[in-house]
Amino acid sequence: MNINARKEALRFLFRPIADKLGYKFTPVEEDADFLLEKEAEIEAETGIPYCPCQARTLDRAENMKMVCPCIPFHRAHYDAMRRCWCGLFVHKDVTDPDKLKQVPESSTGGRGAGIK
Amino acid sequence: MKKITIYALSTCLWCRKSKKYFEEKNVPFEAIDYDKQDPEKQKAMMAEMRAAGCTGSFPFIKIGGACVQGYDPEEFEKHLK
Amino acid sequence: MDRVIEVAEFLNLAEGKPTAVFPLGLPVLLVRRGAEVRALENRCAHMGCPLTSGTLEGDILRCPCHDWRFNIRDGTFLDAPELSVKVYAAELRDGKVFVRIP
Repeated sequence: MNINARKEALRFLFRPIADKLGYKFTPVEEDADFLLEKEAEIEAETGIPYCPCQARTLDRAENMKMVCPCIPFHRAHYDAMRRCWCGLFVHKDVTDPDKLKQVPESSTGGRGAGIK
Repeated sequence: MKKITIYALSTCLWCRKSKKYFEEKNVPFEAIDYDKQDPEKQKAMMAEMRAAGCTGSFPFIKIGGACVQGYDPEEFEKHLK
Repeated sequence: MDRVIEVAEFLNLAEGKPTAVFPLGLPVLLVRRGAEVRALENRCAHMGCPLTSGTLEGDILRCPCHDWRFNIRDGTFLDAPELSVKVYAAELRDGKVFVRIP
């Protein structure tokens, strides 16, 4: 597997999906490059480009909700953060992702509660 | 000094940033990469995160008796005091 | 102008089982429902996996690769209506199935 070629293929596949959902790749190119590289490595190992910042379990239904781009399955949470959990995608209107906070789902009205 | 444990994924950007944050502050911590553990340990880590009201999103950071999910320097600061 | 292409014999289509056809080389799947046939793009909106080997429950077709679910009536992706697969008009004439390709 040529990781660099696969990174570009993932960009090509995911860009139009993110675009329709109102998102774009993070403008921090170094971060986008790192995250795509990790996804390509995870895909080379498992066959599936899972989110590099969410843990897989033995539950397929749960795991499928963290296959990139996982925006559709965490919409309210990511819309509130203005980016996806790993930071590969940000809302189209975001110009400086470093100003955004990583907020757990429980703080945005999603699953879980009581953290912090 | 409060004991700090970082549950991380070796592939996660924010886990790296979190580790770097504590390193730069010279605050000692223990880091455990979930994806490098055996299934039993993973199960225990996930159960602990869920019991704290969290999802399987990393990093998950224990600072003394408190925990923070995600890279959030303001929260780290608050709990370090 | 639309092209109407013959793609299958109606009686060869198994009830409720997606079948792959390639009008003008395009990946299309057919689903027979009683006396009707539905035709949609046989390529998942996620990573392009063929949907024919997915599972069909009612009107919902689940992609075999990563479980993305589509409504075969209008092609919409259940978890985000902004995403969809194309739906083609299917016509039955003299026991044959035709697909209209825009």
